[in-house]
Amino acid sequence: MKKPVLTTLAAAGALALPALAQSREVTLSTQLKNYGGDGAYLAVYLTDAKGAYAGTLWVAGGKAKYYKHLADWNRLSAGDAKRLQGVTGASVGAGRTLKVTADLADALIDAGYEIHVDAAVEDMRDSPSDIRVPLTAAGAGKAQAGKAYIQSFSYQLK
Amino acid sequence: MLWRTIHRWLGLVAGTVALVLGLTGAVLSLDPVLSRWQAAPTPNGLSVAQLAERVAASTPGVEEIRRLPSGEVVVYAFDNGQARASRVDPASGQVLGAYQPSATMRWFKNLHRSFLLGDAGRLAAAGIALAMGLISVSGLVLLARRLGGWRQLGGRVRGTGVQRLHGVTGRLVLAVLLLTSITALTLSAATFGLVTLDAAPEPEVASSAATTGERPVAQLPLLRELPLRDLRKLNFPSIDDPADTWQVTTAQGQGWIDRHSGQTLAWQPASTAQRINDWAQLLHTGEGAWVWAPVLGLAGLCIPMFWVTGGMLWWQARRQRPHLASNSAPAQADTLIFVASENGSTWGFAQALHAALVQGGHRVHTAGLEGFAVPASARQVFVLAATYGDGQAPAHAAHALKRIARTPATPARVTVLGFGDRQFGAFCAYAEALDAALRERGWTTLVPLARIHQQSAQEFVRWGEQVGQALGEPLALRYRPRIPRTSELELVSRQDYPGGAGEPAAILRFKWPQVGWLARITGRALPRFAAGDLLGVLPPDGAAPRLYSLASSSRDGFVEICVRRRAGGVCSGYLHGLQPGARIQAFIRPNPAFTLGATRRPVMLIGAGTGVAPLAGFIRGNAGRAPMHLYYGVRDPALDYFFEADLQRWLDEQRLASLNTTFSRTPQGGGYVQDALKRDAARLRKLISGGAIVRVCGSQAMARGVAQALDAILGTVGLSVQQLKAHRRYAEDTF
Repeated sequence: MKKPVLTTLAAAGALALPALAQSREVTLSTQLKNYGGDGAYLAVYLTDAKGAYAGTLWVAGGKAKYYKHLADWNRLSAGDAKRLQGVTGASVGAGRTLKVTADLADALIDAGYEIHVDAAVEDMRDSPSDIRVPLTAAGAGKAQAGKAYIQSFSYQLK
Repeated sequence: MLWRTIHRWLGLVAGTVALVLGLTGAVLSLDPVLSRWQAAPTPNGLSVAQLAERVAASTPGVEEIRRLPSGEVVVYAFDNGQARASRVDPASGQVLGAYQPSATMRWFKNLHRSFLLGDAGRLAAAGIALAMGLISVSGLVLLARRLGGWRQLGGRVRGTGVQRLHGVTGRLVLAVLLLTSITALTLSAATFGLVTLDAAPEPEVASSAATTGERPVAQLPLLRELPLRDLRKLNFPSIDDPADTWQVTTAQGQGWIDRHSGQTLAWQPASTAQRINDWAQLLHTGEGAWVWAPVLGLAGLCIPMFWVTGGMLWWQARRQRPHLASNSAPAQADTLIFVASENGSTWGFAQALHAALVQGGHRVHTAGLEGFAVPASARQVFVLAATYGDGQAPAHAAHALKRIARTPATPARVTVLGFGDRQFGAFCAYAEALDAALRERGWTTLVPLARIHQQSAQEFVRWGEQVGQALGEPLALRYRPRIPRTSELELVSRQDYPGGAGEPAAILRFKWPQVGWLARITGRALPRFAAGDLLGVLPPDGAAPRLYSLASSSRDGFVEICVRRRAGGVCSGYLHGLQPGARIQAFIRPNPAFTLGATRRPVMLIGAGTGVAPLAGFIRGNAGRAPMHLYYGVRDPALDYFFEADLQRWLDEQRLASLNTTFSRTPQGGGYVQDALKRDAARLRKLISGGAIVRVCGSQAMARGVAQALDAILGTVGLSVQQLKAHRRYAEDTF
């Protein structure tokens, strides 16, 4: 059965390392399962080769009181005062797709960085790092399933 | 009277939307009860460590254990690429089945909190919650005023069926609705980020290096000491990340535990805001309080009832305003009539004055007092003002005093006529304030301020004669009192007395008609009444109704009055001519200032002649055996000793604690009732300074004599009848 797909197109803030002006546009698409609940809160973010927080690409869902349910992101990004700046939108309904574009510095690709998506739904389980994929040129365009809520996740490099 | 305006308009407008919240709230209140009923019991003394160990054994890939407010335990696991949510028996750790929250309840929840409209809907729902709080508070204030003050809040609500339903249910449910509204606003404040619930940033914690291997969950000290009842959530450390920790959440706070050493790495207590939010959540939803949830549900179901009955009350009050024939425009009128009336009854008098003046050739303009303004054409102005409660202005005329103080005087003469009830300390106080304000501004008057007691048609006609003389023209006021809907009462028995002053008297007992609830609710039946309320009787020739004090309450199941036949008395003559089986048309006029609510305090009852009737009613209804003492003035025991046999029986039954009779027309009879009071001065002083309530019923002369005697008696202990009246401990019913 084909479900209607909502496409949220968002231009996330550019994530660049200083002195490295070269950057590429990355489009991340996250399709959710029909989990049978209210709109999901999602946090899309990057960690570096050591597993340390490197930046937030997108946060879907606007109520700060629920952010603690995006547990990994909330913990890792706690020191980043600008973690929400320009990168928030509405929560994503069951079966829908979130599409986010971001400018990422070339240096981040194939450098051990990983993309994480934390997910949480009211009155259902929290799923920190529902999916976790390395950010590599070779991995682009390959869809992967998440643990609890994510039907498929993929990213495209331009 | 801002409160009435708030209550009425918020109720009618916001109430319409609140219907949705009330009904959906009632549906949602079922959930805590059903969940509790389905939840497997939590064994006493079971620790989180024990449960976690059992769950880990029965369910592979456990990530999280949650204990829901209902007591249900839900386990979230990820195993073999499959995410699972299962309900688990806390006692055994065995899986009971898959866990899936109800989609229906989720839909109702979203309808309840956001009308399915997202953030805009949430804001609207919060607005309705605020309105609900204001409606509750204003309802409470109005109810207290109606019952005669905050101390009387527990008293009987009287009136038509609709008024009773609205008021009595309101008194029961109001606190719950107010609480619901406050908690709703608390939850909204957190949702919109106006308060921050999180304590501080989470501590940076990581498990120590894996030198010792994984510590079994059963050996984690924090979890061993934590009873399952206190658990909210336990997160297992991630399989992939050796530095990850255990994380446990309770109502008190959050803890992090080293997966290798088993040490508690950090404990962060819950913030005060979080605790307040938790309480608001519990009180608003009933989650985790399955006894409380049905209370919330019933309160929600009451909202449609309040909306309907409130709308009916508003509509009835609107219809009360009469239509005025030939109401001239203000600028053309030579005579202006301004009316300040709380329940519309004063408009009936204004209508009569209006008609009589129009007949006399005047051009008359009648309006509400809130529009007080005197054009140059006006020669005379009448202000008819009712006093509400303790001397307050009626709602619509709340700002009239200020307006009058601002209006410069013209040559027109302004006459004030006050309406009120002598039972209240502030008899016609509002009319007096208006009169004083007018004189202060320099307005002259046609006739001095007059006061009408209990809407007396006779007093009104007399005032009209004075006005006519002052105007130099005849002024025939034909006031037809607005007769309430009457009921037919059948006389079942009568007890005759020769009477003390050549006027025979009789105790008449009528059957209280039993009717269906529909007739009662819609006010088409004789409402409930208390002893001391008044029975209005319509004589057959269309004369004005006469009022008699009731010697019974509706609980007694009959309607009883004591009537002395007066020479030439239209109504008393009519009643005395009735034989059992005959029927009369009658209505109930509440007399809340005089009737006696349930009390345990001593009660002094002082009455003479037929005035003993309501006092006998109080004694008859004294089921709680409050100490009641009756001082009873009779002329001659052979002629007018009403209720003699009953009083003896009530003494035996301890409904009456003591009886003191005086016989004014027999030698050594003891004189008048006030003489008996003087003889018992010491006892009365003790009773009244000890908090006794006083009720006096009889002729006006007798009531004055009693008040004088009591003032003399109480003066030595620094009390007075005036003070007692102010504290609502002393009330008179006189004729």
